[in-house]
Amino acid sequence: MSTARADKRLYRWIDERYGVSPLIEFLRHKEVPLGAHPLFWYFLGGTTLFFFAVQIVSGVLLLVYYQPGENTSYESIRYITTKVPFGWLVRSVHCWSAHLMIVSLVVHMLSTMMLKAYRPPRELTWLTGFLLFNLALGFGFSGYLLPWNELAFFATAVGTDSVKSVPVVGNWLLQVMRGGPDVTINTVYRFFALHICILPILTVGLITVHLIFIQRQGMAPPIAKHVAPRGMRFFPNFALRDLLWWILCLAALLVLALLLPYGPGIPGVEWELGQKADPLAPAYPGIKPEWYFLWIYQLLKEFPPHLFGLEGPQVCLAVVSLLMTTWALVPWLDRKARRDEPSPAFTDFGVGAMLFITFLMLKAWDIGAGAVADGGFPDPAAVARPCAWILLAVAVAVTAVRIAVYRDRWFVFSGAAVLHAVLHGLVGLPYLAAGAIAAAAAALATGFTVARGRTSAMPAGGGH
Amino acid sequence: MSHHASPARLSRRSVLNVLLSVGVLGWLASVLYPVIRYLTPLPLVGPGGPVQLTRSEVTKIERDKFAIVPVGRRRVLVLEDSEGELRALDAKCTHEGCTVKYMPRDSLIVCACHNGRFDLQGRVVAGPPPKPLATYAVQRDEEGVIKVTV
Ligand code: HEM
Ligand code: FES
Repeated sequence: MSTARADKRLYRWIDERYGVSPLIEFLRHKEVPLGAHPLFWYFLGGTTLFFFAVQIVSGVLLLVYYQPGENTSYESIRYITTKVPFGWLVRSVHCWSAHLMIVSLVVHMLSTMMLKAYRPPRELTWLTGFLLFNLALGFGFSGYLLPWNELAFFATAVGTDSVKSVPVVGNWLLQVMRGGPDVTINTVYRFFALHICILPILTVGLITVHLIFIQRQGMAPPIAKHVAPRGMRFFPNFALRDLLWWILCLAALLVLALLLPYGPGIPGVEWELGQKADPLAPAYPGIKPEWYFLWIYQLLKEFPPHLFGLEGPQVCLAVVSLLMTTWALVPWLDRKARRDEPSPAFTDFGVGAMLFITFLMLKAWDIGAGAVADGGFPDPAAVARPCAWILLAVAVAVTAVRIAVYRDRWFVFSGAAVLHAVLHGLVGLPYLAAGAIAAAAAALATGFTVARGRTSAMPAGGGH
Repeated sequence: MSHHASPARLSRRSVLNVLLSVGVLGWLASVLYPVIRYLTPLPLVGPGGPVQLTRSEVTKIERDKFAIVPVGRRRVLVLEDSEGELRALDAKCTHEGCTVKYMPRDSLIVCACHNGRFDLQGRVVAGPPPKPLATYAVQRDEEGVIKVTV
């Protein structure tokens, strides 16, 4: 009993000084909407935050031994994994959690896309989330180089090289990123500063803004349902569920980190240290970036040397920038959702984008290539065919669920992504030609549905 | 018209505004300029004249038919073709900058990153590289000493 009194006294002591009662009162009334969609989708942002916290803790632990430098970067990581007690575990946790953080971030972003939570007044929440996604990619890209091993060296050489295609300042930007014309240990110094100082500061700042927005506006209610949904009290009902979920995440993270300390061994999801970087060694087949960059890596391969009077990589960079910008501007493009009406076209836009990226990732993994002789390369047609079949199977499964469970009736974008894969993988057209036909077909179909005045949203330039 | 209403006050305000803007811009420039200069790496200077290959690089060419050697700030691929002729080309792929290698079996220079292929004159034969590899002068004297000039 006396502890309860002591608790009260402590609370009073704090409250008198800092006035926390309004805060407690506020938390009592904070609610999470219930019943509209599975509660699960509301856990993903918190999951991402959890893995970010793990990154900070494990990253600071790595910093105790890691030393960037020509003769220390690689050696210190090797020391961590072979000599330092549990060093292998700390590195394994940092790497696993980096991947899991990006997975939960992507799923979080897709779930807000599907729920149209980005519609007014939450456009800036989407935009800050999009920027956070870019920062997370920056974390992955800069961290990848730090061990200064062969794989990291080439992946960074290729990854930074595309910067030279930026108009006007491209070459200067490339030099600033690399600390010289080529990837050297100077690049490691610059990436190190980014990875452990600049990006963390920016990320913490943006997370704060993102959370303040959410705090001020509450969770988005379901679209086109003008009744107030039931709610679950955030505190303690939701917060305790959050905590339980985090404990499960931590358990899963530790199991993975213990059982597979060097990753599952899929190209793009492995972190075997391998050989030390040697700028004078030729690149070898199988140089791949991390999985979330694989689609860009594959897209680079699909572009011919020259297109429209520009160099292939320049056009590729322009295409990727256009796609990313479109994604960032979705809250403004989706006019139906702006009017709080169901917006099936943008649901399908999200699914179509995922299918597009999945197909590129499957191709990047050379699925179906079989054994390849040294110095040889898998036959592109032999890779494209099984990838197209897999994509077709995935698309059929997803579409079946969408029709049966969500009663979706709008499939123009996902249909175009499938058409693209079929024309390329099964008919044998070049990737870009197939893509152009699929894009034209999607544009025609969209124009047709709009002209018929059906209840379908237009993604861009739909007019009023 | 409002110009004539109170010319003195209006012009004083606009002059002050201009001064203030110029001041802010000047202040920004004086902060940004040193930062930009600081971040821009210094140009690297390497030896200008011919560079002589080391013993181990020469051995490597004998064994593998090629070696990648640093010349100035460039990486140069020195290879011995099927006729025993030496050739020197830029080792940095013109696509996205991976390091190329020589495949003696096919008399080709290949880049493993995105399957770029070049012939021994550096011309692109397949894959995405947009430009040929630069070629450099290379000589071998009677004692087997190899020199590359870029
Ligand atoms: C969103 C957060 C982060 C992500 C996604 C991330 C990702 C990565 C990745 C992919 C690597 C390369 C791992 C490898 O191949 O060995 C790495 C390495 C490293 N990171 Fe992070 N990181 C994050 C945050 C941090 C923070 C906050 C710190 C420190 C304050 C940190 C410190 C380090 C260090 C010292 C290394 C080199 C050790 C190593 O490569 O194993 N990281 N990080
Ligand atoms: S970097 Fe050589 S082919 Fe892409």
